[in-house]
Amino acid sequence: MKRASLKASLVVVIAAIVLGGVIAGLLPSYWVFLATSVLITGVALQSLGLVAGRTGMIALCQMSFAGVGAWTVGYLNLAEAPGGLAVWILIGGLAAVPLGVAIGLPALRLRGINLAIVTLSFATAFDTILATMTYPGQTDFLQVPRPELFDGDEGYFVFVLLFYVAIAMALEFLSRSRLGASWLAVRHSERAAAAHGVSIATAKLSAFAISAFIAGISGGLLAGYLGTLVSENFSMMQSLSLYAVAVMTGAHFAEGAIIGGLLVVMFPEILRRLDLPQDIGNVLFAIGATQALSTGETMSETFRRQLRRLVPARIKAAASAPASDLPAPVSRAAGPALSVEKLTVRYGSVVALDGVNLTVTAGTVAGLIGPNGAGKSTFIDAVAGFLSSYEGSIKLGGKPLEGMPAHLRAREGVRRTWQTNRIAPELTVGGYLALAAKGLSASETRAILGWLDCPDPNTLVVSVDAGTRRLLDVAGVVAARPAVLLLDEPAAGQSHEETLRLGQRIAEIPKLFGSAVLLVEHDMDLVRAVCSEVTVLDFGRVIASGPPAKVLDLGPVKKAYLGIEEESVAA
Amino acid sequence: MSKLVVSNLSINRAELPVVSSLDISVESGAISVVLGANGAGKTTLLEGLSGIIPVAGGSIAIDGRDIHKARPGVRSREGLAHVEQGRTVFRQLTTEENLKVSLHSGADLAEAYALFPELVQRRTVRASLLSGGEQQMLVIARALLTRPKVLLIDEMSAGLAPVIVTRLMSAVRKLADNGLAVLLVEQFAALALSIGNRAYVMRRGRVVHDGDCMKLLKSPDELHRLYLGG
Amino acid sequence: MNALLTSAVAGLTAGGTYALLGVCAVFTYRLVAVVNFTGAAIGTAGTFVLIALYEAGFPIWPSVVAGIAAGTMVGVAIGTIMTRWFGEASASTKAAVTVALLVGIIAIGLRLTGGQHPHNMPELFPGSAFRMAGVEVTIASVLTIGLAALFTVLADLFLNTTKVGLNLRALADRPMAAELLGIRVQLLSLLVWGMTGAFTTFALMIIAPQRSPNFMTLSLLVVPALAAALVGLFRSFWRTLAGGIVLGLVEGMASSVDSISQYRSAIPFLVVLAVLLWSQREARWDEAR
Repeated sequence: MKRASLKASLVVVIAAIVLGGVIAGLLPSYWVFLATSVLITGVALQSLGLVAGRTGMIALCQMSFAGVGAWTVGYLNLAEAPGGLAVWILIGGLAAVPLGVAIGLPALRLRGINLAIVTLSFATAFDTILATMTYPGQTDFLQVPRPELFDGDEGYFVFVLLFYVAIAMALEFLSRSRLGASWLAVRHSERAAAAHGVSIATAKLSAFAISAFIAGISGGLLAGYLGTLVSENFSMMQSLSLYAVAVMTGAHFAEGAIIGGLLVVMFPEILRRLDLPQDIGNVLFAIGATQALSTGETMSETFRRQLRRLVPARIKAAASAPASDLPAPVSRAAGPALSVEKLTVRYGSVVALDGVNLTVTAGTVAGLIGPNGAGKSTFIDAVAGFLSSYEGSIKLGGKPLEGMPAHLRAREGVRRTWQTNRIAPELTVGGYLALAAKGLSASETRAILGWLDCPDPNTLVVSVDAGTRRLLDVAGVVAARPAVLLLDEPAAGQSHEETLRLGQRIAEIPKLFGSAVLLVEHDMDLVRAVCSEVTVLDFGRVIASGPPAKVLDLGPVKKAYLGIEEESVAA
Repeated sequence: MSKLVVSNLSINRAELPVVSSLDISVESGAISVVLGANGAGKTTLLEGLSGIIPVAGGSIAIDGRDIHKARPGVRSREGLAHVEQGRTVFRQLTTEENLKVSLHSGADLAEAYALFPELVQRRTVRASLLSGGEQQMLVIARALLTRPKVLLIDEMSAGLAPVIVTRLMSAVRKLADNGLAVLLVEQFAALALSIGNRAYVMRRGRVVHDGDCMKLLKSPDELHRLYLGG
Repeated sequence: MNALLTSAVAGLTAGGTYALLGVCAVFTYRLVAVVNFTGAAIGTAGTFVLIALYEAGFPIWPSVVAGIAAGTMVGVAIGTIMTRWFGEASASTKAAVTVALLVGIIAIGLRLTGGQHPHNMPELFPGSAFRMAGVEVTIASVLTIGLAALFTVLADLFLNTTKVGLNLRALADRPMAAELLGIRVQLLSLLVWGMTGAFTTFALMIIAPQRSPNFMTLSLLVVPALAAALVGLFRSFWRTLAGGIVLGLVEGMASSVDSISQYRSAIPFLVVLAVLLWSQREARWDEAR
């Protein structure tokens, strides 16, 4: 992880030194001046990329946050605060943070569209507030002074470049951290993220806060760039068009932010020189953004895809590591790992589960089977904390789980997999495992991936086929070594041979990792092969339980599956 | 010639083959039953046939006209009706409104009520408040009012009490006897086989058994093996 | 007290417009599942066709008809983009598309109408309707509120008594089930877009003389409109209607209090914030994910 981040950061730094040197050293002042503007816009776009690109929310007041940063710098200048511009800019960024969090709060739950409405209305409100306040120092013709070292156009360009590179590197490290992975996971599926113990509120609020901080910095940089500002610099229209650009270019990529900055600054410049109206730019951004949304691919992603095609990819081998590298099993007390008593779930007038009792003994694999609509998925949802209410009691090793939300149950030791694939495709295989299991070492990661025939940790999930992604889902929960694993039809879509192999692996889980397993499965061969106990649900009730060989031959079970009465079987 | 002819059909889901090179056909006035354990690809098959998800290859023909590339609405107008799994009534609409939505010129609400008289006294009730059995009757009746040539029915029995399933099965048999071609996907094998003509059993996206319904019904061991393995 | 009442009543026209725009937003969301940020911009486009024709010397009422036709067409055009390319997209992608389109429409609109350049917008319904407690109530305000109520009633009638309305409700309930029954889903969706386009255009024609009729200001009336729609939780027409009117009244009152009058356009934000915080007490998961 760290190494990849360092490598990517190094690329950014070298590119910055080379390009920065060329621009500051060779280009005429006017172009350097424009290039500075490109970078400042790039910083604003990076802030937007974090919310819009990574967490996938619609944020329409980014320039308002920038305005907060700029005005703060103006006040600090007027107040002759110590520290100079660099410090003021950081304070300006911090000033935007509480605002970002406050606006993010009402959008934490429900549809993400709410954030669009709340940010747009905030941008409108902020417009009028800003319009009534002149920029601090404007009436006395007091300009925001640049640091002595970076005073000229070339100097300030370098100053801004330093900020840009620092932010790009910080974001690079963040994006590969567990926090960064949790943003992508939340964007892709909130439930799946919570099932890994990720707090949705923390993930979203941290993204808003960091994004507002960076936006605030971009405003501060603009203050130093122009000396004095007017409210139009931060109008709602600026925020809207910045959003369109971010969607179009993919501002959560370092190159996307720069391309976006170039478009925003250079387009009007070119149009001006061609004697064309400059506002055509926004029309093109709108078309570009619509196009990106319809194909689901931003400019940066298109470039990266084509680059990958040009540079022949090294064949990523399957991950391999000796089994001795597997993390040590967590030793747990014998007895019931999970005990469910009289679990009843109602959806309106429909009773989905009716007084279900089920115990999973530590160190074993138990099965849960039943025909379609019998309530198996509802059972998993209830245990893992995804239902708003149920009756009865669910205990994990004796500790009641009632009242605990899904992410806390996950941290407590209940992990689940999903019938549909919910892994964020932008993650790497290793990044996904790090999200699922905190503090896994590199060799442990490889060992677990190898154990389940998953690809190398550096492989992007998007390039992993759907069948293997299901194995990866299992690898994630296994890596966390929880007290109880709930596997929801892991063999669906696997070939017969793969299913056999997966069966062997599932049977080994209790011994290798110390986790008890509850397997929900339709493949009866698999159930027979790995489960020591099996519970059969029908119409939300337990109709049989016991060793699979015995249970599967019982009359009521056959009837539930086949609709064949015992008599007709006998006949 | 068969009413519905499906040949060499392949359907992928999230890039994964779920149905592969599959051939089935349904005659007018007959019921073809598709059986199989969960995950065998039965629902995916029906969704591919009606156009909910795209098919990767092969052909789907009604009366010899290939429709495998058409939108769902077009397939419906070509004579295909799909009763989806999960009783997809329009929840906010009353029973009668649900029927009116699909009422095509030439069809009559009375046909629906004749098939399921149970619905008459529930006509002004919101569909979300109907019982599971009534909802299932409603979606079958609703599909019927589009005047289809071929009727696809998915997991009609899921979550319903046996007595109601029997009632539904006999209604479906009646429809076939009146000339409709029916493709019935079921997990609840015995009843489906008792009303069906031709039986297909699917496993992992392929047809592993193709034969007469009665024959399969009389060899429960074979059925048991196809379903529960072992 | 009287001054406060006067200014509150002065806010009625705006309230009626917010209400009508809000009801249209709810209509669009309920029937085609799009939170439409271009709602007011569509109406603005139609309004400016009216202005252009009027300034060119055409008689007023034919120009109004032409303007409404233009607004309808812009609505259908946006609807075509939405149904054709984003029919199966998630609600939040659809909303993002309308945001992007808003940016483009405003840019084109400002270019064609000469930016902030003031226009001569004819007052369609000048004068006062009646006096209430010594305060003049303008025809325009009665008309916008009446129109909003009419739209709400008509929408109810249309949806509940006609076959097309029935099909629309079915479509909104389960799009795929409707399509499987052979309902012409795309055509119906365009009908919704066209209808809301026509109504928003007329609403904006009435309110335009009271605002600075510039393309951007009018397009951004979508903010109070969405705030009103949120009051109705994007479900209830009548609550949206009430929300819009109250929003206008509060704005009107705020404008009479000197210390806060310049901040009155922050009111929709406060309303949105309050409604969201209140409405999300229970819900836990972003639906379907």
